[in-house]
Amino acid sequence: MSRKLHEFWLQVKGLFRRRQMHREMADELEFHLEQLRAKLLGEGVAEEDVEAEVRRRFGNAGRWQERLRELWQVRWVENFARDMSFAARLLRKSPGFTAVALLTLMLGVGANTTVFSIIDGLLLRPLAVPHSDQLAVLGIQRGGHLGHSFPEPLFRGLEGRHEALATVFASSDTTLQVRGRDGNENVAGDYVSGGFFPGLETAPLLGRTLTAADDRRGGNPAGFGVVISEHFWESWFNRAPDVVGRKLTIDNIVFTVVGVMPKRFIGADPLARPDLYVPLAAEPIMNGARNMTDAGVDDWWLTVMGRLQPGVTLAQADAEEASATSAVLHERVTDAGWLDRQLKSHFQFRVESGSVGFSWVRQEFRQPLVAVFAMCGGILLLACLNLTSLLMARGAARERELATRLAMGATRRRLTQQLLTESLLIAVTGTTLGLAIAPLVSRALGALLLSGAGDAHLDTSLDIRVFGFAALAALLATLTIGLVPALRASSSELNEQIKSGQHTIQAQERNLWLPRVLLSFEVALALVLVVGAGLLASSLVRLYRSGEGFDPRGVENVAFSIDKSGLDHDGAMTFYRDVGEGLSHLPGVRSVSFTLIVPFNQRVWDEDFAAARTQPAHDIDLNAVGPDYFQAMRIPMLEGRDFRWNDTKDTGLKIILNQTAAKLLFPQEDPLGQMVYKSDGPIAPHVPYEVIGVVGDAKYENLREPVPATGYAAMMQQDDRRSPSYFAVVRTDGDAGSVATAARTLAQRLAPGIPAPTMTSMMTTVDDSLSAERMMALLSVFFAACALLVTAIGLYGTLAYATARRTSEIGIRMALGARRAQVVTLVCSQNALVAVAGTMAGLIAALLASKALASFLYGTTARDPWVLTGSVTALALIASAASLLPALRAARIDPMAAIRCE
Amino acid sequence: MGQPKVDTGELIQGTLEMLVLKALLRGPLHGYGVAEWIEHTSLQVLKVEEGALYPALHRLELRGLLEAEWGASENNRRAKFYRLTAEGRKRLDAETQRWARLAAAVAFVMQAS
Repeated sequence: MSRKLHEFWLQVKGLFRRRQMHREMADELEFHLEQLRAKLLGEGVAEEDVEAEVRRRFGNAGRWQERLRELWQVRWVENFARDMSFAARLLRKSPGFTAVALLTLMLGVGANTTVFSIIDGLLLRPLAVPHSDQLAVLGIQRGGHLGHSFPEPLFRGLEGRHEALATVFASSDTTLQVRGRDGNENVAGDYVSGGFFPGLETAPLLGRTLTAADDRRGGNPAGFGVVISEHFWESWFNRAPDVVGRKLTIDNIVFTVVGVMPKRFIGADPLARPDLYVPLAAEPIMNGARNMTDAGVDDWWLTVMGRLQPGVTLAQADAEEASATSAVLHERVTDAGWLDRQLKSHFQFRVESGSVGFSWVRQEFRQPLVAVFAMCGGILLLACLNLTSLLMARGAARERELATRLAMGATRRRLTQQLLTESLLIAVTGTTLGLAIAPLVSRALGALLLSGAGDAHLDTSLDIRVFGFAALAALLATLTIGLVPALRASSSELNEQIKSGQHTIQAQERNLWLPRVLLSFEVALALVLVVGAGLLASSLVRLYRSGEGFDPRGVENVAFSIDKSGLDHDGAMTFYRDVGEGLSHLPGVRSVSFTLIVPFNQRVWDEDFAAARTQPAHDIDLNAVGPDYFQAMRIPMLEGRDFRWNDTKDTGLKIILNQTAAKLLFPQEDPLGQMVYKSDGPIAPHVPYEVIGVVGDAKYENLREPVPATGYAAMMQQDDRRSPSYFAVVRTDGDAGSVATAARTLAQRLAPGIPAPTMTSMMTTVDDSLSAERMMALLSVFFAACALLVTAIGLYGTLAYATARRTSEIGIRMALGARRAQVVTLVCSQNALVAVAGTMAGLIAALLASKALASFLYGTTARDPWVLTGSVTALALIASAASLLPALRAARIDPMAAIRCE
Repeated sequence: MGQPKVDTGELIQGTLEMLVLKALLRGPLHGYGVAEWIEHTSLQVLKVEEGALYPALHRLELRGLLEAEWGASENNRRAKFYRLTAEGRKRLDAETQRWARLAAAVAFVMQAS
């Protein structure tokens, strides 16, 4: 073995110094010849005879130098190179086939790589920090449900424990307001605990990171420190080398820049790109009365991660933290009633792997992505099947060539090798093309997917896993599309072929069952994809048609961030009143109002309400809105009246219910003028609200769920614990751009220094809230269209080859009196059989597979008869079209010409 | 010329390689030297054809039984010298024994009456 290896090594070395080797061989022989000449001269041979004698003894020097070269050649490399150029020549000769093959594969591999790179970016890519495999994400299990957010006291309880986790750290993403030259600007940031940077073990580019000493109430003696990203260093400080020590005013608090993190560091959320890292302990003074730290166990806002102690496994850490649950709870929670309820619901800390970090977005898109990935796999399989049947049909057409080569002494192995080389060439070229388009598509797809997830950044660049995946796809494709045709084409039947001539009908019949099975399988697969696409698309249409309960067209939402402006409640109300006044005079604007929460914007506020002090409370979704909100949103006012600017805190709390809430709270009576009671914890158990109106049902958190029982409170009656940042709701027929400009000017004039307001249209918000559904529907329709196209190509191509080989047979039939219609039927019947068998199999498979889709469907069942009928019809049409062309061509055969040809 | 010419292709397979290894036992030689030595030592009975010699040398080199190096010949010309490797020495021992057994067996058969 080692001798073989030695030989191979020398041969490979030889490959790289070929020319030198050949020269050395020539030199060696030349030396020998000279010695020989000298010897002959010495023996007294006459000078004129020497040359002849040397030639006689030596023979043809060129020929045995050739033998030496052969010794040094790596046989398979040379063969491979020869096969490659032969295959390339063949493919160039049939550009139609090559184009179809490459396109199909490009599509299959491209789609798969694209989706895989998104899956990789979203789910698989480890955080770019040292030893990311030691990271863990902490969760809380309550009543069978696993959550991943923590309140501050529980995190502080865990932070002090080091038994299984060397460090436990918390972070929470937020938008920070940084004071610049022209007022405040919104910047993405993270609250991080003292263990965050030590736990992630990444060295700063400049200065230092935050430590436990920074994460103290009041900060260290020098005040609070902030760590900035390289990106922020560049955009804000223009890469000033003396940035460490400079001051930044964030949320009206002065921070000192202590360090800069390198670009590759993105924190603990792989989809976020925070620019500022501020100590967690600074949160109470940054957010003042509305801070989450002091809300204790009422606010669940932290993501908690940890780094395992060396030698401790995840399972051990999980057990350790779970067993610490009770101690931490008792140590940190003072509310005995709350503690009791939690312990009853089997409250427990859990530890999971955190090597890929933690992202909320991930939870939402895992399932749709996996479904899309399955569809992609289907497309790739389809592409391969298609190529297999096309190659087989082609192989059948090349039988004579192969048989001749076999007869001339080529081994079966060489033939198989050569055919595999052809498939490899197709596969590698197709895969490369697919890989080339993948990054473009995945960026677009990633943007589409995450359009609803705020400013999430998905890194879909090609990495080792994506390349590995693409290579695997290429390899599988090569084997699938190459092996079957190669084995069959080099089977023993070939010898019979050469003996019995070109168009042996028996052999052809024998050869046809496998392509037919493959094609049926292809039809079945295409049907499954089409049915899936139909279901997802009709579900999306139903979602849009289900109605929001308001009219999103023509509504623009303008976000004003005034929570750090220093305006008190009354000041804020005056500001909004003036803004509303200013906006309503713009041309085209119909009405203007304000809302705390824009529907479908991933925020909910719910409270417990009861119709009487003695009655059980119901969970009611709440929103705070300004006057004319229902008019601006076109939600019908069914009873009572709207809010007015003079409904202030002094005039008694008012509420407007939607129909569902009215029926829930007052099943029998008229709700108008009745009192409802909000239970607000033990401090304020029964806060009374007067019902002043009932409005139509409108959806709130998302379009998929039925309208929740909703109450609308007046923005004028909110207290300081609620954020004073509202959205202006502007209904306009005019130019949306002028609304944005006007809002910016108004904000600058009325509250100088607040960040520039941002505008989003309500339609965009609706679309974004359905981004997963839209992505799935769009992709599945695209894939289904591809599947139909690929299947049509396969059916057409195979039939065209088969028919071409039957030319003389058809000629004879026609000469014997077969009519053209009969010929068409004869040819078509081949594909009809394939189509019917494939459809039957596909229907069964679709019914089974669509169950997996059930969780993605809205308002439709997985067995929607319309979708099933439509899909079968589409497939039938495609199959007929693909069969008719070769059939018509067959019917135009001139019998005389066809027979003479033989 | 007049002497019987032994076509090495007709030698029992592997014999030429054995002879080449043997020729190199006493020290490095170039291809011409190897052929000369075999001819000389066999008293001109065995004539080595160049067409077979060089492929054999290269084959042995590829298998790691010989090592090659360019050096100056006795008349100061650049020539490729071959040297036995440890592997080659081992192989020569094995071949020598095998040959002795084979030759004895052939002689025994031929002497039988």
